[in-house]
Amino acid sequence: MTVPALKAKDYKSGIKAVWCPGCGHFAVLSALTKAMAHLGLVKEQVAVVSGIGCSSRLPAYIDTYGFHGIHGRALAAASGLKAARPDLTVIVAGGDGDGFSIGGNHFLHACRRNMNMAYIVMDNEVYGMTKGQASPTTLPDWSNSKMTPHGTGIPSFNPAAIALAAGAGFIARGYSGEPSELTRLLVEAIEHPGFAFLQVLSGCVTYRPDQKQWKEEVHSADSDLPTDDPVKAAQMIQAGDGKATGIIYAKRFPVWQPENRTDAEINEIEKEFLL
Amino acid sequence: MSKDDIVRIESVEEFLVHAMELEEASYEHYDELADTMEVHNNLQVAELFRKLANYSRLHAEEVHQRAANLDLPKITPWDFKWKCPSTPEAFCMDEADYMMSSAKAMEIALFNEIRGRDFYQQVADNSPSEAVKKLALEMVEEENWHVEMLREWQASMQDEQPQEDLDPPNMPE
Repeated sequence: MTVPALKAKDYKSGIKAVWCPGCGHFAVLSALTKAMAHLGLVKEQVAVVSGIGCSSRLPAYIDTYGFHGIHGRALAAASGLKAARPDLTVIVAGGDGDGFSIGGNHFLHACRRNMNMAYIVMDNEVYGMTKGQASPTTLPDWSNSKMTPHGTGIPSFNPAAIALAAGAGFIARGYSGEPSELTRLLVEAIEHPGFAFLQVLSGCVTYRPDQKQWKEEVHSADSDLPTDDPVKAAQMIQAGDGKATGIIYAKRFPVWQPENRTDAEINEIEKEFLL
Repeated sequence: MSKDDIVRIESVEEFLVHAMELEEASYEHYDELADTMEVHNNLQVAELFRKLANYSRLHAEEVHQRAANLDLPKITPWDFKWKCPSTPEAFCMDEADYMMSSAKAMEIALFNEIRGRDFYQQVADNSPSEAVKKLALEMVEEENWHVEMLREWQASMQDEQPQEDLDPPNMPE
């Protein structure tokens, strides 16, 4: 029997998203389902893992296995899953606060550990779910929050630079306002053998209406990218304005995958969790 | 217009795949907007977007019927030939706002419908195939009808009082 090819909408769960109308995350959801359809992924062989925040609601809206975890621990949970089930396609999703602040340490070590998974950070430079506080990627002079009425005064986190320094083998940047290109980047990230980091500039229409301006600011990365030279990648990232989209750096490193040493049956493991 | 800006569609099959993608994206986005407006209790605008989704759905069904029994090419999501970063009728969605008025919603819808019509017109103007030109012009005619209908609808709308936001974003005074 031939299994009919799935369309992008077949990967949507049917649960209505509670994001704000106009939120960039809708485009990420749409692009991700298109990427899954393009790759012909079998739903039962995919797990989408997230932390906490607006963007971390993503697994609920996708009809694959999913785990909506705890704040900042999406990569930790996903690493455990991938260690136990290397056969699954593991996609990790979250926001800039979840990934770079609360989960910042996990981000560093996931980059250098290089397990085979794609990490999508929907970066809107704000904590939206808690009503608009500055996040690690917020520029120091953003003052539209009662928490930081004069701005944070702290230089913002440069996700691509940190990922490169921590040893990630795939670093890319996309934009929710360019969903077709974003789909291509997601396909590349999922197909990359190893840890693939994709920062998506995904505007928050409610707390950062100024991000509508990104439409004018986002541009394609230089045509000589991606590079596999970390020095060149570092120079490009540091010299850039943080708005260049495309694959910046792609290099293959040995993938870390622990041997599956357990021979316990699932019902024996479950007994350990009984209260 | 530079050579790179020209939308050149060679065959009826290729055209229909583009039309299907455009119309499906259109109703999915309107449905999405209707859903989120319901979540935010902006029911009047939700109803409007739902109606627009239903019109687009009918249009998509029509395109599907035309494509029945044809061997359609598979086009990767990033290889569609529109000259905008998204499908033409699903553009500009970041202009949406949970407190938006029906008038603003209509403005967005008109903007999108006009972009859809212009895409079909570009195809008609630049395709080397007479069959594609004919089909594209039929779509232009239908889109023109949509645009006119929306304009009439817009003209009949009563002025709305701006809604009070009982839970505004936490911005400094």
